[in-house]
Amino acid sequence: MLKYLIVPLGANAISFCHYPNQSIKDSFTDIDTLHEIVRFSMLENLYIQFVYPREELPVEINDVVESVDHIKIMPFDYPVKETLDKAQIIVFDSWTDLYDFRLKLDITCVIRTTFKDLLESGDIMRELLHRLSRLNVVITDIESVSESQVIAYKSFLDSLIPLLSELYSQGNAVQFNLITDRVILKDMNNCNAAVESITVSPDGLFYICPGFYSVGMENIGSLTDGIFIKNHYLFDINHAPICKICDAYQCKRCVWLNQRVTREVNTPGRIQCLLAHCERNASKNFLENLKSDRTPIVEGISIAEIDYLDPLDCIINQ
Amino acid sequence: MSAIKEQQRPWRESRTKNITFIVTKDCQLACKYCYLVGKNESERMEWKIAKAAIDYILIHEDDFKDDSVVWDFIGGEPFLEIDLVDKICDYIKTEMFRLNHKWFNSYRFSFSTNGINYDSEKVQRYIEKNREHLSIGITIDGTKRKHDLNRIWKGSGPERGSYDDVVRNIPLWLSQFPDGATKVTISSADIPYIRESVLHLYSLGIKEVNINVVFENVWKEGDDKLFEKQLIELADEIINHGYYEDHACSFFSESIGKPLDSKVDNQNWCGAGRMLAVDAKGLFYPCTRFAAYSLREKKPIVIGNVVDGINNDLLRPFLSLDRLSQSPRECIECEVASGCAWCQGENYDSADTDTIYQRSVAICKMHKARVRANNYYWNKLFNKLESEEKLCSTSLTARDNNYKLC
Repeated sequence: MLKYLIVPLGANAISFCHYPNQSIKDSFTDIDTLHEIVRFSMLENLYIQFVYPREELPVEINDVVESVDHIKIMPFDYPVKETLDKAQIIVFDSWTDLYDFRLKLDITCVIRTTFKDLLESGDIMRELLHRLSRLNVVITDIESVSESQVIAYKSFLDSLIPLLSELYSQGNAVQFNLITDRVILKDMNNCNAAVESITVSPDGLFYICPGFYSVGMENIGSLTDGIFIKNHYLFDINHAPICKICDAYQCKRCVWLNQRVTREVNTPGRIQCLLAHCERNASKNFLENLKSDRTPIVEGISIAEIDYLDPLDCIINQ
Repeated sequence: MSAIKEQQRPWRESRTKNITFIVTKDCQLACKYCYLVGKNESERMEWKIAKAAIDYILIHEDDFKDDSVVWDFIGGEPFLEIDLVDKICDYIKTEMFRLNHKWFNSYRFSFSTNGINYDSEKVQRYIEKNREHLSIGITIDGTKRKHDLNRIWKGSGPERGSYDDVVRNIPLWLSQFPDGATKVTISSADIPYIRESVLHLYSLGIKEVNINVVFENVWKEGDDKLFEKQLIELADEIINHGYYEDHACSFFSESIGKPLDSKVDNQNWCGAGRMLAVDAKGLFYPCTRFAAYSLREKKPIVIGNVVDGINNDLLRPFLSLDRLSQSPRECIECEVASGCAWCQGENYDSADTDTIYQRSVAICKMHKARVRANNYYWNKLFNKLESEEKLCSTSLTARDNNYKLC
């Protein structure tokens, strides 16, 4: 069931996920269209997530935005401090910017990073984990990660477990999507584009997610005609053979990335699975630490020992 | 000893890699039901492409884990390129030997041919050379009027059927391949001729007729009723004349027409992705049906090429395909689901989006008609065998699989 309406406030809105940032500037949503979008969200009972551009919103746009209950997804360098202070999600494209930012405790920080930069972020990461309440890492170049780099990823994650365990034992339950999410999940908790959320573009057309809009893929309806998703069932996990047998519940399962890599929205690429399982296995070790430290944990959570990193191997070997 | 002939199983089924060379997109014929919408005379495979494909496949032995291999040659008409085919096969054999490849002792060369130049000197020399490792099927659709209805020569001028040009080679073929089976394709216009065609093929000495309705959405209102009537008439003939003892027709199978379990029976029907096809440009496909010349509406799905190899991420959707993921609810809950086939390429070509996960249901009514006729066939056959005291049980229906021959 759809719950969220993602609304980029212009073609220049930032990326907060795997898809690339656009180089367009000063291309804000038309005011009439924005009114229609807000009206649609009210009629369909959808909670809006506004995605901001780097440029300051025109006053009339800002007024409409502030007239409705919503979540703000904003770039860290949005020029109006008062508005930025109200953001629930702040997005960074560099570790340095994140490190230098004056952080509030009650926000989610999204860091969009290359795989290489992530692996080199260890020292900054340790510092940040002391300061943040939630850190979401988005790897922007998964397609270029090779299998030989997966071992390094495992080592990187493993190196953070002692610190996270120590923080948790001290009562600092910092949320770090790559390791701590899985220890509180009993089933899949993915992006769920087209199932729980839908995106409406600045020109009033619907898309599966901002990624589908950003690369010019086919729209799935309009504010005037409504939403029509062909083969909608393919976004349901029960029609995703690899994912439905998987217990890497924290995986983003990005349907935009799936389509780019495998041509199918319901099928993740191998590297996605390998990385998600490194995270899942790190979560397993983290959970065992929590249990041995007698740190309170969510009841009924256990993560089994497995001998694969790609669920497709299980399907093939059946 | 069984009194009912069973269909031949495919060679080393389930442990075999099927590798298809699309050696040409040309054919002497222009069959009306042919799914190859992009046939042409210009796309012929060059030796350097074929060699590069063989080198890639044999060198990457670890990526091809199957115990055995079928090297399949397809067109168009593969025997139009017999010189190339011969060279390819010689090279495969010498390379498998040189590399001490696991497939050296477990390979076959396979052809589906229209049979027109089967008796040519070059083809016969090739057959003589590779006889022990060959499977050849000649396509003949049945009686002259049925065959010539669809299988016509290409070119302008009055339509000319190919029956006479094919049937003359059947005796030679059967003398070399006594167990030779033929593949018959049924589209809407062919339905009235099913009974006579299968019986005609039996009369030519062909003991196994593999027959299927086309997967494309070509069916008209009432076709299912006509189809069922033809199959029932065919069933009567097969049973009354005792053909079931030494002939097989794939329309009749004990295993079809039953509900399928969502866990145990969740396999994909088709082998797309577990196979590999290569075309004249050296492009790899999950099966020939995903090459451009096979597709009406969609772009080809290329999964690699002979230089860069296979992109395994593009294979993942194929390797993970199962029945439930691609089937609509009506198919999942269907009471007569078993034996209802699909072609992944046709699914893709007719899908609402560029997915391989949307099962076409164009043959639904035809399958259900087949199931009814199949029930009739087995009930009638069991009743006959029972009355002749060839069966031990006394209360059999086509839904019982536990009969026992005395």
